[in-house]
Amino acid sequence: MSSPITRRDVLLAGAGLAAASTLPRVAFAQDAGTFRIGTLCPITGAGSPFGSGMQKSIEAIVAEVNAAGGAGGRKLELFNEDSQTKPDAAVLAAKKLIEVNKVQAILGTWSSGVTLAVMPLTEAAGIIEMNCSGAPSISTLDTKDLVWRFQATNDRFGQAFAVIAEKRGYKRPATMAFNNASGIGNAEGFKKAWEKKGGKVVAGVVYEPNRPSYRTELQQVLAQKPDVIVTGSYLPDSTIILREWYQSGQPTQWIMPGWAANPDLVKAVGNEVVEGLISVDSVSNENAQSYKAYGAAYQKAAGKEGSTNVYAAMTWDMVMCLALAMEAAGRGATVAQINAKIRDVANPEGTKVYTFAEGKKLLGEKKKINYEGASSRLDFDQYGDVTPDFGMFVIEKGVLVRRDVISI
Amino acid sequence: MTFIDVVNLLINGCIEGLLIALPTLALTLVMGIARFPNAATGDYMTLSAYAGIGVQALGTTSILLAGLGAIAAGAALSIVFYLWVFRALRGRAPVASLVASIGVAFFARSMLTLFVGHDQHTFAIPLVRAWNFGGIRLLPTDLYVAAVALLAMLLLFAMLHLTPIGRQMRAIADNPDLARACGIRSGRVLLALWATVGVLCALGGMMFGIKAVVSPEFGWELLIPAFAAMIVGGIGSPVGAVVGAVLLGVASELSVPIVGPSYKIAVAFGLLLLVLLVRPRGLFGRALVAR
Repeated sequence: MSSPITRRDVLLAGAGLAAASTLPRVAFAQDAGTFRIGTLCPITGAGSPFGSGMQKSIEAIVAEVNAAGGAGGRKLELFNEDSQTKPDAAVLAAKKLIEVNKVQAILGTWSSGVTLAVMPLTEAAGIIEMNCSGAPSISTLDTKDLVWRFQATNDRFGQAFAVIAEKRGYKRPATMAFNNASGIGNAEGFKKAWEKKGGKVVAGVVYEPNRPSYRTELQQVLAQKPDVIVTGSYLPDSTIILREWYQSGQPTQWIMPGWAANPDLVKAVGNEVVEGLISVDSVSNENAQSYKAYGAAYQKAAGKEGSTNVYAAMTWDMVMCLALAMEAAGRGATVAQINAKIRDVANPEGTKVYTFAEGKKLLGEKKKINYEGASSRLDFDQYGDVTPDFGMFVIEKGVLVRRDVISI
Repeated sequence: MTFIDVVNLLINGCIEGLLIALPTLALTLVMGIARFPNAATGDYMTLSAYAGIGVQALGTTSILLAGLGAIAAGAALSIVFYLWVFRALRGRAPVASLVASIGVAFFARSMLTLFVGHDQHTFAIPLVRAWNFGGIRLLPTDLYVAAVALLAMLLLFAMLHLTPIGRQMRAIADNPDLARACGIRSGRVLLALWATVGVLCALGGMMFGIKAVVSPEFGWELLIPAFAAMIVGGIGSPVGAVVGAVLLGVASELSVPIVGPSYKIAVAFGLLLLVLLVRPRGLFGRALVAR
């Protein structure tokens, strides 16, 4: 049954294709019933320990919102992409989400580099961006107030470092910072906060990535005999620096951010080198009911305790804020109208709520609500930034032990 | 800034320079004999270092065995890519081989990350405290790294100047046509060249891995400093490669008290510009004549 392709067939096929290409738009217009959310979590790359959990957490809360009848009369629809923790890959994925899937919000970007690369695209498209990044510049580059940050800024990390240094009685701190927005942000944040307390930073260096050795930089800092060195660093450079410091034999203490001082660092340099090192990371809002709801859902979705992934708690809150804002903005609201409601539903003044159903009910009664998040109290400042609590972990015999929780 | 600080900086500079000298030698040999800049040099280092890590992962803590594994892997890798890619491009414009070498670099790195991921690795070596001579600190690991680098260079120079294959390499570097007319079989010489390049890269990768951390990008990141060292020293000159690398290392370290650590790399490249202004062919390079 061989039938040759005729010119008519080709024409027909062409006409069919042309018609099909107009379909998505038609479908979209009829499909005002869904709000399209793109996720851009770091499934692979440096963020891979957290990425899949972040995405699963989003899927779980979206299911919960949809089960409660959706938000603002609409169901949420998800489109998942992988940022690969790389700005270039993330930009391609974001373009696809915006142009092909026509998403109205992008959630879950993790590293500052990725968020900074994706922001111009979401801003140009006029859609909401929610991230877990730390770079201070994200606050100021967000000119349309469409970017919401669920992680502490590096500046706030610096403040937490200063509180810890004071509590521990250090007198002569020095700083070492990796030369990028995040590293310098940590060190500068610490310096500002420390000097406000009347202290003085005895030495500070900014060092370059990818060097075989940081002996010279260490020598400069150690020459001032600091009793503690505060870093804005990452895992590879921290490994080299700690090893060279240990070999130099000069005693001092270290305070490092949690993304550098983690079990991988202990594995790389050995228990003896990191004994007593202080690792600081933001901690979830562990006593809130919203955290318990998140924890149960995360356990079910990812098979792990909620506390193993602080970022999954953040992505949980992202969907929650978005859905509550949609509910508050009412039926058929535009992205801009929804965006304008995010502070209204998350910040104080208002009845504290912990779940979507609770919030939806109160909003229906025209009451003001204040969502208390699983990741933090979730009160957005003028830049769309939040202030979580920080955990102080001390490395004891190769294990990170939480010794204190700090609120700034 | 005391005299002792300066001495410490000088030591750091020398060690870093000797480290960079190994890939620089590999670059300059290929440049002189096969006549193209081999952009895959850094990734040969990376893959060899991973081979060393792999040997240690089998359960031994012997750094010597890891080193031997790395050397075998480096030489094999270098020869395979020569036979597979670069041999077919002989006789074409250098830019063909250059572009191919960039492709080889990407290919090698992607295969690596596909199988072992992006996590960093470290060699299992005991950490020892530095020897302290009245403030002048010497790290035993650094001395070890420097000794291996110096020994490798010594062996390389012995090979180039004392053995028939080395003589043939130099003959080809000098004038390929004349060498061929004299009956030198370039196929054999090139195999020896690529094996040597692989060994040099493997040693460089091992030394870097011991001093710093092994990650998929480290070799690629070292390519630019190695290029700079080759150009300062004079393209194609092994002595120049070593002198250039150490000079850049020392200059950037000594500049730290004046310009700070962020700009020390800029100082190295400033020096590169200066050398090129005064002596365009590099310190030990031969004047290029149009043929």
